[in-house]
Amino acid sequence: MILRLATRAMGTRFELVLSGDDPVYLRATGEEALAEIEQVESRLSLFRRDSLLSHINRVAHAAPVRLDLDTFGLFETIDRTVRESRGAFDPTVAPLMRSLGLHGEDSGAPLLDLADAHALVGWDSAILLDPNERSLRFTREGVSLDLGGIAKGHGLDLAATSLRENGILSALLHGGTSSIVALGAPEGRQGWSIALGGETRPVTALLRDAALSVSAPSGRRAVGPLGEVHHLVDPRSARPAKGSSQAAVIAAQAATADAWSTALVIDPALAPGLPFENLLTGEGSWSHNLPPSSPTTPRFRLPQTV
Amino acid sequence: MTPSDRRDFLKGAVGAAAVTLLQPHLFAGPRRLSAPVRLGLVGCGRQGRAMLSELSKIEGATPAGLCDIDARRLRGATRRAPDAATFDDYHALLDSDVDAVIVATPTHLHREVVLAALAAGKHVYCEAPLAHRLADAKAIAAAARRAESLVFQAGFQGRSDPVYTLAQSFVRAGAIRDIFQMRAQYHHKTSWVTPSTDPEREKLLNWRLDPELSTGLAGEIGAQQFDVVHWFTGKYPERVRATGGVLAWQDGREVADTVHAEFLFPGGARLDWDATLGNSFEGQYELLYGVMGTVRLAWTHGWMFKEADAATQGWEVYANRQQFYNDEGITLIADATKLASQGKLKEGVGLPNPPLYYALESFLLAITEGAAPACGAEEGLRATAVALRAQQALIEGDEVTIPEDDFKVD
Repeated sequence: MILRLATRAMGTRFELVLSGDDPVYLRATGEEALAEIEQVESRLSLFRRDSLLSHINRVAHAAPVRLDLDTFGLFETIDRTVRESRGAFDPTVAPLMRSLGLHGEDSGAPLLDLADAHALVGWDSAILLDPNERSLRFTREGVSLDLGGIAKGHGLDLAATSLRENGILSALLHGGTSSIVALGAPEGRQGWSIALGGETRPVTALLRDAALSVSAPSGRRAVGPLGEVHHLVDPRSARPAKGSSQAAVIAAQAATADAWSTALVIDPALAPGLPFENLLTGEGSWSHNLPPSSPTTPRFRLPQTV
Repeated sequence: MTPSDRRDFLKGAVGAAAVTLLQPHLFAGPRRLSAPVRLGLVGCGRQGRAMLSELSKIEGATPAGLCDIDARRLRGATRRAPDAATFDDYHALLDSDVDAVIVATPTHLHREVVLAALAAGKHVYCEAPLAHRLADAKAIAAAARRAESLVFQAGFQGRSDPVYTLAQSFVRAGAIRDIFQMRAQYHHKTSWVTPSTDPEREKLLNWRLDPELSTGLAGEIGAQQFDVVHWFTGKYPERVRATGGVLAWQDGREVADTVHAEFLFPGGARLDWDATLGNSFEGQYELLYGVMGTVRLAWTHGWMFKEADAATQGWEVYANRQQFYNDEGITLIADATKLASQGKLKEGVGLPNPPLYYALESFLLAITEGAAPACGAEEGLRATAVALRAQQALIEGDEVTIPEDDFKVD
C-alpha cells in the first residue's frame, strides 16, 4: 500500500510517499520523519525568532555558538560548497537579501543600504568554524545567515535517515517539489520517476537512493531598491542571477543538491569541471541545466502506477 | 499624549509592572552561568533531545551524562551532546559527577528516578506531569520538600515563559478584572504512535497509548495548560467532568484521542478544555475571559483584547496590534518600553527562544544563583493531581470531585 503524509514547514509543504504493508506502522514512521523536518524548521528557519539560526544570527558575533553534530555537519557541507562554487552559493548573503526586500518585514531593525549590506557578505571573511569545539562564530557584527533551500534539503536528509532506521525501503520525500529524496524504488520499478519542466517538454529522471534539487528564479520575488527582483541573488555581485535557466542537480544528499542547484542558477559557468560526480551533465534524457526555452516553473510528477 | 506625558504615565502602576519585568538577557548575548553546572539527562526521547539543544545555548551548562535503556535513542541524544558519557542504567549516571539531573523518562518512571536522584544529592528537573499516579506525585513532592538544600523544578513551562510572566502580571494587576470563564485547547494531528519493528521495544516506546500507564491527553498535554490557569487565577478547580473517546485514529487503541473537559472553580468560574490528536486547527492556546478584556496565550506569543469600556493603560501606546477576524489583539511583549525606545519593538514579537529554554534557564539559575525555581514540587503536584482527576473523570464518564487532600504533601 501507499501512504501519503504531509506537513507545512519552512514556508512550504513537505510530503512523504511511503510504500509498505502495515498502515499504522507506516504512519508512525512517516510522522517520525516529518518530526525531523519540523525539528529542522524550529532550528534553522530564518523567520522564526526562536530558531537556533535566529539565535546564531543574534549572538554569534559576540561568542562562538556550540552546535550539535548534525548542524555542524551541515555547516561543514556549506563551507565546502561555498569554496567549490567560488562563492556563488553563500548563506552570508542574508543582509543583502534583506536590503533587497526579500525577507519581507522580518524585524524592526533598520534596513542597510545595498553597499553596506554587501560589505557584510562573504563566508570566508565572516565565518569561523571550529571543528574541535564544533562551534561557529561571526567575525563581525551585522553578519547573518540565510540557509534558504539548504535547510529544506537538510530536513529531507534527516527525514530519510529516520525512515531508513525504521526499516522503510521505498519512499519518496519532497519539500515544495523543488527538493526530492528517493529511497529505493516503487515495487517492480527501477526507481521513482520524476518529471521536470513544463507540460510540453517534460524530462524524466529515475531516482533511486538519491536526492534531486531544482532551482529557478521563479517563486519568491520582492520589490526593493533594485526594483522587482527574484530570490536567487549572486552574493558576489549583489545582483539577482541573470538568465532564465533552471538547474537540476542529483546528489547523494539533498542538502548538497540544494546548495549546488542554487549555485548553478547563479553561475551556470561553474558547471563544466565541477568536482563532484553525481551532477547530471546532459547524460540520458535531461541535463543539469535545462534549456532557457523550457518553462521556468519546475514540477515533478509521481508515477501514476506504483 | 506627548512622549514625556507617556513617560510620566508609565511611572503609574501598570507601567511599573512592565518595568520590573525587564529582562535584558532576552535580547542580549548568550546566557552565561555564574558557575558551571554538569547535567545528566535520563530519558533521551524527543523531549530529552530538545532539552539538549536548548542547553547548548547556555554557557556553563554542560550535558555530562546521557541515559536511556533504548540504544537508538541514546545514539540520537549523542548527536546533540557528543562529549557526554552514556549510560543504560540511571544508577550509574547518578554515581557520576553530575550536579543536576533532568528526568525526561516516560511519566510512570519519574518517581523512581527522581527519588534516587534526590537521594544521591542531585538537583532535579522533572518533566510534567510529575507522575501517572497521585501517590507517586505526592512521593516526589515529599522527597523534594525534604531535600531542602537541593533545587527541584517541575517542568511546567508557563511559569518561566516570558510572555506568560508578563501576561500574568497584567492579569494579576487586574487588567481584565476577575476571570470568570476560560477556554484552552490542544489540537495537533498526530497518531501518537512511535514506530518500532521490535514488539518489546514498541511496547516500551508507546507508553502514552498504554491504558495502564498513560495519563492521557489530560496528563501528557493538559497538565501544562491547567497549571497556567492555576497560576493566572490563583485558583484550583473543585470538580471536573470529561468526555471523549477514540474518534480520530481507529487503529485499535484504547486511550482517547479526543477529549473535552470542564473544570469548575470555586465561585463558579469554568475552564473548558478541548484536546484532539485528529486535527491541528488553531493549535494550542489558553483564553482567559474577564469583564474588561480577554487574554490569549499561545506559548511563544500572547495578546490582550480589551473591552471597549476598559481603561487605557500607558504601555499600550507602544504596542503592536494584530487582527483576529473581528477582534484586534494587543501583542504582549516583554521589554516593550525598552524596545520601543530603541525603535525595535517589532523584534520583540514572539519569543527569541522556545518556552523549554526558559524553563531550563530557570532551573539552572535556581542552582547557580539560589533563585526560586519557576515551578516547585507543590505546584507541580497540584497541576498533576488536577490532570489525573480529569483523566479519571474521562474514564469513569462521571463528574469527579477534586478533594483538597489531593494537593497535600504528606
